[in-house]
Amino acid sequence: MVAPDFSPDRFAGWHMVNTLLQSRSGLQLHLLTPSSAQEQADLLRHDKADLIYANPFDAAHLIRDLGFRAFARPVGKPDEMVIATAAASPLRCLEDLRPGSRIAVTDNRDVKLIGLRLLEAADLTDKDLQWVLVETFQAGARLTIKGEVDAGFFLAEIYHSLSRITRSQLKVLIESAIFDITHVLLAHQRIVGEIPAIMTALSGIGQRSADHEVLEALGIPGGFEKMNDEEAEFMVDLMDTLLD
Amino acid sequence: MHLPDMQYPPPPGGACECRLTYHDGTRRLVYCVDREEPFPDGRLIVSRTNLAGIITHANEAFVTMSGYTIEELIGAPHHILRHPEMPKAAFADLWTTIASGKKWHGYVKNLRKDGLFYWVYATVIPNVRGGVVVSYTSVRRKPSRRKINEMSDLYSKMLSQERAAQ
Ligand SMILES: Cc1cc2nc3c(=O)[nH]c(=O)nc-3n(C[C@H](O)[C@H](O)[C@H](O)COP(=O)(O)O)c2cc1C
Repeated sequence: MVAPDFSPDRFAGWHMVNTLLQSRSGLQLHLLTPSSAQEQADLLRHDKADLIYANPFDAAHLIRDLGFRAFARPVGKPDEMVIATAAASPLRCLEDLRPGSRIAVTDNRDVKLIGLRLLEAADLTDKDLQWVLVETFQAGARLTIKGEVDAGFFLAEIYHSLSRITRSQLKVLIESAIFDITHVLLAHQRIVGEIPAIMTALSGIGQRSADHEVLEALGIPGGFEKMNDEEAEFMVDLMDTLLD
Repeated sequence: MHLPDMQYPPPPGGACECRLTYHDGTRRLVYCVDREEPFPDGRLIVSRTNLAGIITHANEAFVTMSGYTIEELIGAPHHILRHPEMPKAAFADLWTTIASGKKWHGYVKNLRKDGLFYWVYATVIPNVRGGVVVSYTSVRRKPSRRKINEMSDLYSKMLSQERAAQ
């Protein structure tokens, strides 16, 4: 199962990786791509996932409460977020945002969480702001450009993949640079025995020349690296400090 | 571990001199310059200590902001950053909270190697592995100017009370 926060043009990439992993590990893999956090939660409640490409926010619960084991993470692809306003907006920095400001957000909880932590520097908390829920970051960008919201929250990767024209109508107020927070690949306890086979297949992606296309399509050109339990716990502790 | 005295900071501007006594009885001479180093935008400053408060991990932002090298930091007690304007009670509260297994939040004024200071909003949590607390992690975020002003006033009152009680 892949967490629902990848940009739509990565869809093909996930299918290609799934196919490669199947053929190289010999395991039967059925790709699940829930389209929202809610749908992902439903699949989890029905215990439908053995392998999860999880966002760091969910990783805490999956590892500590549901007993999933982390075994890999993308290389050079930390989860960062951007707060942007319209290019023509009078706002020049984060501190210019005032209580009552309207902010476009998606249901990406880690983006919202990190954004809220950055806004503390401007003395703003969750309840000081008016949240305008949007389906996609692209929709958030449209509202921000039109001035229907004062600012939008974006997953940095998606912000940077917006078209040049769109970005030229936006202005970044802040971009996080945390580096230590990434998505993680998790395995359910019932398949921990398969982790070595999966890891071998996974870290092998990128070794053959044709694989580069797959990693490019996925937006993870550096491929995946091993992650041990302690590295995962460290990241979960870090997320824990950001909860309040 | 006994920290060496600080070196008199380079100009411009004067520095005030102070001899700090730490919880373990060690002392050192520190210099403070009345100049703030701004918190780096978008960053988190992260460190980890063992149960005795000795630094075992520091991220890049931590190293840069402290003004020390990573080699100087790893193995040093975390009070290497203690600023003389921080009241003892703030750290006492930190240690009682984390020793009881809970999360601590607080505003801290830190002293850099060059005598400048920087304010952080810190969260310290016990790292629990297999049901046992094995270390502590601290993650600092950028505090608002309003909070910094409020806490500076509060800490200076606490500090004068602590001095009067001595
Ligand atoms: C994880 C962790 C992080 C800490 N970070 C700081 C810090 O940034 N600045 C600081 O002055 N003290 C920090 N402390 C508290 C110090 O250990 C120490 O208690 C404090 O500097 C006062 O010194 P003293 O206890 O030796 O008197 C931290 C403690 C822990 C456990």
